[in-house]
Amino acid sequence: MEIKDNDISTIKFRYKLDDVITHISLLLSVLLIVGFFVVILSVIFVGGYEKITWEFLTQPPEEGMTKGGIFPAIIGTILLVIVTSTFAVPLGIITAIYLTEYGKKDSFFYRFVNESINLLSSIPTIVIGLFGLAFFVIYIGGVIDKVFYGGNLNWGKPALIWAGLTMGLVSMPVVVTAVREALEAVPANLKEASFALGATKMETILKVVLPRASTGILTGLILGISRSTGEVAPVLFTGAAYFLPHLPSSLSNQFMELGYHIYIMSTQSVDVDATLPIQFATTLVLLGITFLLNILAILVRRRLRKNEYA
Amino acid sequence: MNTHSVVNGDNGKEKIIIIKNLNFYYDDVHVLKNINLEIEKNSVTALIGPSGCGKTTLLRVFNKMYKLVNNARVEGEVVFDGKNILDDNSFDDFELRSRIGMVFQKPNPFYMSIYENIAFGPKLRGIKKKRILDEIVERSLRLADMWDEVKDRLHKPATSLSGGQQQRLCIARALAVEPEVLLMDEPTSALDPLSSSKIEELIVELSNDYTVVIVTHNMQQASRISDYTGFLLMGELIEFDRTEKIFTSPSDKRTENYVTGKFG
Repeated sequence: MEIKDNDISTIKFRYKLDDVITHISLLLSVLLIVGFFVVILSVIFVGGYEKITWEFLTQPPEEGMTKGGIFPAIIGTILLVIVTSTFAVPLGIITAIYLTEYGKKDSFFYRFVNESINLLSSIPTIVIGLFGLAFFVIYIGGVIDKVFYGGNLNWGKPALIWAGLTMGLVSMPVVVTAVREALEAVPANLKEASFALGATKMETILKVVLPRASTGILTGLILGISRSTGEVAPVLFTGAAYFLPHLPSSLSNQFMELGYHIYIMSTQSVDVDATLPIQFATTLVLLGITFLLNILAILVRRRLRKNEYA
Repeated sequence: MNTHSVVNGDNGKEKIIIIKNLNFYYDDVHVLKNINLEIEKNSVTALIGPSGCGKTTLLRVFNKMYKLVNNARVEGEVVFDGKNILDDNSFDDFELRSRIGMVFQKPNPFYMSIYENIAFGPKLRGIKKKRILDEIVERSLRLADMWDEVKDRLHKPATSLSGGQQQRLCIARALAVEPEVLLMDEPTSALDPLSSSKIEELIVELSNDYTVVIVTHNMQQASRISDYTGFLLMGELIEFDRTEKIFTSPSDKRTENYVTGKFG
């Protein structure tokens, strides 16, 4: 077929138009998303940065949250993250190892575990919070009190441990999914090489698969952990307190939590004008902690990579 | 060495592995049909044949790697050191794979340093002393002709090596546990011609002290480096003989058609 000159220029024009349209629409979508992010961040920053002082970070709230700081809530959040991770990280990793390396894909048990994890991650967190109240606080806590404390109330009430366990139910599916992806990304021929050298399945998983997947696993853990710093619903009934003059000293104590603190300041404040800047500042701190966790994890990851071969 | 293993063939040379009436199935698919084969000690035996003929499956019978696949079933005898390896009471996988090593199609170094890759096998065997591990690493890398290339960067990641070097590292890693037999599954198919020819030289060198069984798609390679060649077609061992014979005057028409490039 012969192509005439003006045909070519039409084609060229079409290509150019295509190009321009694609670029503009892509750019607009990206700008929209980035724009939201920037607006959210700057509103929070402008509203709260003046409040953030050393005193704010190290003092407890005073006069019905209208003055003072948020120290107990920061510590409470950190403690919550630690309890949650102690529970969710090992369980999540073990479940992921079972699903990728041991489970027979067509067995009933494998599918049961797999679907349970999927369902667990789709349950609204407020439902998980209520489950935590009914199961951990009232049932498990109640049994402990009955058996060990002759019915005296020690564990059968909202507490750090129950909040951590409940939050663990929220972060565990995230951990499982991410760790699983990391494990599945390990090439099969590495495992074969290990088996061919006489390694057992366990040795292969511990020495070849897990090290190879370590960066991915770490990313998964960060995802799970940042999830639990941001959620409020799971700790609402299971351990977070409105106000506490002291830091928790035991796993059976209640604690203050940043997300919950923001929630009560915005819904139950006695003086909205006075608490608004504190609210902004608290949000800023919560975001700061989440970002710090992520940055820390990135640094650890980089270090791991560097030292891996030493 | 166990006297049972000394079985002398026509030429008086010792046979290290003897396969008798081997049949292999994946589910109901009959992958290997009544294979009979003797592998001569300290020689290179090549297994050739078109894709899907069962040569890789046959190779994976020697170190029982077929067990990684569900629904694999095997019948017959594979005699090594006087015992049938298919009998689960003869060797456990650990001992068998210590004595019969394997090198794979794609270089697959572990996500570790060069040193740790080599030390992996010995460490599984409980060797912890640094001095002994150092010796093993040096010896294995020398055997694979790459000590001089890497001696200054033993603690660099193995993945920083070129493809050909990685494959030689994998050979060194397999040699580090001092096997008697080395199985190679198309070890040069993912490499450039220069790296391939280095591996080929290495294989010939190694056959002085080791028995090499190599699966290859490359008939020139088989004719260059092997002493014996087996031609497989659709699960049957059509012909097994000295390599010169297979490539110059095969007795089966199908072998002749394959080695002369009429099909494949």
